[in-house]
Amino acid sequence: MESLKTNASITWCPGCGNFAILTAVRKAILQLEEKGLKRENICISAGIGCHAKIFDYLNLSGLYSLHGRDIATVQGMKLANPDLKVITFSGDGNALGEGLAHTMFAAKRNQDMTLILHNNGVYALTTGQFTPLSERGWKGPSTPEGSIEKPFKALSLMIQAGATFVARTFAGELNHLTEILVQAIEHKGFSFVEVLQPAVPYHAWKEYRDKIEFLDKEPETFEEALITSNEKHTHTLGIFYKAQKPLFHKELYGEHNPVMKRMNREERLKTMMELLKSM
Amino acid sequence: MVYNVFTFLVGGKAGEGVKKAGSVAAHVFSSMGRHVFQMDDYMSLIRGGHNFSVVSSDTVPVTSQYSKAHVSVNFDKKSYEKHSNDLINNGLMIYNSDDIEQVQGIGIPFSSEAKKYPLKNLMFGVGAVAVLSAAIGFDKKRMNQIIRDEYPRGIEDNIAYADTIYDMIYPTCYNKFSLIKGDIKRPIASGNEAISFGAIAGGLDIYYAYPMTPASSILHFLASYAEDFNLAVVHPESEIAVINMALGSAFAGAKSMVGTSGGGFALMAEGISLAGITETPILIVLSMRPGPATGVATYTEQGDLGFALSVGHGEFLRIVASPGTIEEAFYLTSEMLDLVWKFQTPGILLTEKHLSESSMTVDLDIQKAKWAQPKTHDGGNYFRYLDTDDGISPLLFPPNKEVIKYNSCEHDELGITTEEPEIIEKMHNKRKKKVDALINHLKILNTVNIYGSGKPIIFTYGSTTMSVLEALKYGKINATVIQPIYLNPLPVWILSEYKEERSIVVEMSSMGQFSHLLQEKVGINFYSEFRKYDGRPFDPIELSNKLMEVI
Repeated sequence: MESLKTNASITWCPGCGNFAILTAVRKAILQLEEKGLKRENICISAGIGCHAKIFDYLNLSGLYSLHGRDIATVQGMKLANPDLKVITFSGDGNALGEGLAHTMFAAKRNQDMTLILHNNGVYALTTGQFTPLSERGWKGPSTPEGSIEKPFKALSLMIQAGATFVARTFAGELNHLTEILVQAIEHKGFSFVEVLQPAVPYHAWKEYRDKIEFLDKEPETFEEALITSNEKHTHTLGIFYKAQKPLFHKELYGEHNPVMKRMNREERLKTMMELLKSM
Repeated sequence: MVYNVFTFLVGGKAGEGVKKAGSVAAHVFSSMGRHVFQMDDYMSLIRGGHNFSVVSSDTVPVTSQYSKAHVSVNFDKKSYEKHSNDLINNGLMIYNSDDIEQVQGIGIPFSSEAKKYPLKNLMFGVGAVAVLSAAIGFDKKRMNQIIRDEYPRGIEDNIAYADTIYDMIYPTCYNKFSLIKGDIKRPIASGNEAISFGAIAGGLDIYYAYPMTPASSILHFLASYAEDFNLAVVHPESEIAVINMALGSAFAGAKSMVGTSGGGFALMAEGISLAGITETPILIVLSMRPGPATGVATYTEQGDLGFALSVGHGEFLRIVASPGTIEEAFYLTSEMLDLVWKFQTPGILLTEKHLSESSMTVDLDIQKAKWAQPKTHDGGNYFRYLDTDDGISPLLFPPNKEVIKYNSCEHDELGITTEEPEIIEKMHNKRKKKVDALINHLKILNTVNIYGSGKPIIFTYGSTTMSVLEALKYGKINATVIQPIYLNPLPVWILSEYKEERSIVVEMSSMGQFSHLLQEKVGINFYSEFRKYDGRPFDPIELSNKLMEVI
C-alpha cells in the first residue's frame, strides 16, 4: 500500500468520505495486481473538485485534467494505447454537470474505462452549491431559497446511455466499496461506480447510514436494471447492471494499437507516393 | 488562338455535380501537363442554391482562380445571371436553354436531354465535360475515356448524353481554344489533403475532429485512408471532447492532431490552455471562415489571426504558423507536428477555406517532410517537469515503472499540485524558457518566404500569398512579397530588416489584424493596405489593378 502513496500532504477535511475511497482504491489495485494486472498499465485522470485531489495522493501515472474533461482525457489514453487500463475519478458536478456529454458518450460507446463518481451531492470545494445529484430544495449560496431542479438518477441514466457495468457503493462500507472497485476495473467496457461519500461540512455520516440498504438481488436483464435503478436511485448499494458488449476501440480498429503498432516513416511515404500518382 | 492562362467555370445547383465537373476539368488540364488551380464556391445547403467551380490552368504555376472564364457552363438561369459578366472577350458562354430564354451565348438543352436518362440532372456535370472537351479540341474517343474514368455510375448513358452535347457544340466551337501542353503530369491536391499528408508524413497516429466546414474534409480524407496508414480517426461528441481526447492520446505517446474552424476552435480554448500547462504536444488545424459566430460557413477570411495568437487562458507558448501555398501546407504540417513534440506545447496550423478547399497541381518532395522527434527520458528517476536549461523536460510514456504525472494545476517537477510561490514562479520560468529555445530553433528554419526583389514590399500571409503572387504575375509587377510563415513567435529577426521600406499589406480581414501585428511587433508602417472581407478570395486581375494604382 505504501508504494501507492505520494509525498503530497492530504488536504481533505478530517472525516471526509474521500479518505475511504483513497484507501479502497489502493486495496483494489493490490488485489488486482495479485490477479495479474500490471500497475504500470494503470493510467488515471481526475476532474476538478475535492474528488480530484486523489490524483496527487495516488502514485500512479496519469493526467490531472480539467473540470468535467477527465472523461474525455482517459478515452484518449485508451484509444492511443488499448493496453492501458484507464480509470477516472469524477465528482457529481464534474461528471454529470460540466462533463455530462462526455460521460453519456463514453457510456454510449462502451469505452473500456472506469468512472468512479465521488457523489457527495454538493460542490464542496466551491462552498456548497447544489449539484446535478443534490436533492431538490438544497440551500446553497447559489440557491438560498432551495434548489428547484430534481436530481438526475445517475445509474439509470448510465444504463440507458449504454454503460455495461453500473453500481452504487458507499464510502462507509469499505469492503463493499473495494470489492465493487475491483469488479469495475476488471470489467471490459464502460464501468460506472457511484460512491456515496459525505462531505462532512455539508452532510453527516449518519444521514447516509440511516438510509443505506443493499440490493436483495442483482437485476438480470437490461429492463430489470432500468426499473431497479430508477426506483432505488438514492441509497441502495449493489451492482445494478452488468453486460458484455463490443468495446469501442476494438470496433474502431480491431487489434491495432496506435502507439505500439505505428507504421514507420518509409512505409508511410511509399503508400503516399502511390496515392499521389492517382491524384 | 493559343492561350496560356485558361479558365473554365461551371455553375449550377448543389447536387448537379458542379464540383465534380470542376475536378474533372482540372484533371483534364493536369493530364496535359499543365498547372491547375481550382476554387469551389458553394453555399451552406445540400440541394439547390448556387454553386460554382472555377478552374484556371497555365503552362507555368498558377496560384489562383481567375474570375473571367474562357469557357463558362451554366446549368440554370441563376448561374447564367450570376456569371454573365465573368467571361473574357470572345469567351464561350453556355447556358441551359431549358431554363432561360435566348440570351448571349450558346443555349444547350441540358435538362431535356438529361430527362431521357434515369440519372436526370445528376448528369449535368458530364454535359459540362462534353462542352469543355469540344471547346479545347478533344476528340470523342478521348472525351469518352475521361467520362469512363471519372463517372463510374451509368457509364453508357453518360457517354450517350455527352455525345449529344458534344455534337451541339462541335459545329461552331470545336477547338475554339487550343491549349499548349505543359511539361509533366502533376498530382492535384486540395489544401486539406496536403495538410493530411503532411501530418501522416510527420508521424500522425490519431486524428480527432468534430465536423466543421472548412476543416471537415481533413476528417473525411484521413478516415478514408485510416487503414492504409494505420491511423485511428475518431469523431467524438464535441470539439471539447476532441481536444481533451487528443491530449489524453498525446500523454500516452500518440502523435495527435485535431482540426476545426473558428467556432470549434473557441470550444477548444480551455483544452489548449490545458496543453499549455501540462506541456502536452498537440497540433490544431484552424481553417478560418468568416465570423463572428457561425458567420458564413462555406467562405473564406483571415479573421481569427488574433484569436489564434492568444487562444487559451493563462501564459504559455502557442506556436502559430500559416502556409502560403498548398505545397507549403504539406511541409509545414509535418514541421509543426515535429515542433509541438520538440517543445511540448500546443501548435496551431492557421489556414483558410481558400487554401483548405481549393486544389492545385503540386510538386511535392515528400522525403523532405519532418518526422516528429521529441526529447525522451533516458533512464533513472523520472520527473515529468524536470527543470532543464531550455525548459524542455524529457518525455516518457506509459506503461512504465516510473510514474508519469501530467497536471493541469500548477505543479512541482514530479507533477504534484503546488501552491508554493517559489515553485509557481519556477514553473512559469521553465515554460517561458521554451520560448527562447523555440526562437533559437526557428532561426535555423525557413520562417519567412521572400518572393521577388523589386519595390515596394508587399506583406501578406496564408492563402492570400497565392492571390498576391498570381496578381503580380498577371500584372507583370516587380515587387517583393514577404510572407511570414510563422506568426508566433513572429520572426522579427528577419522582418525587422524591412522596417524602413515602403510597404503595402494585403490580408482578408476587416480590422487589419495582420497589419496591426506587424506594426506592433516589428514597427512597420504601411502606406497602403488592402483588406478584403466579403468571403471571396481576391481575383488576381482586380488585385493587380488595385496594386498598380498605388505602386
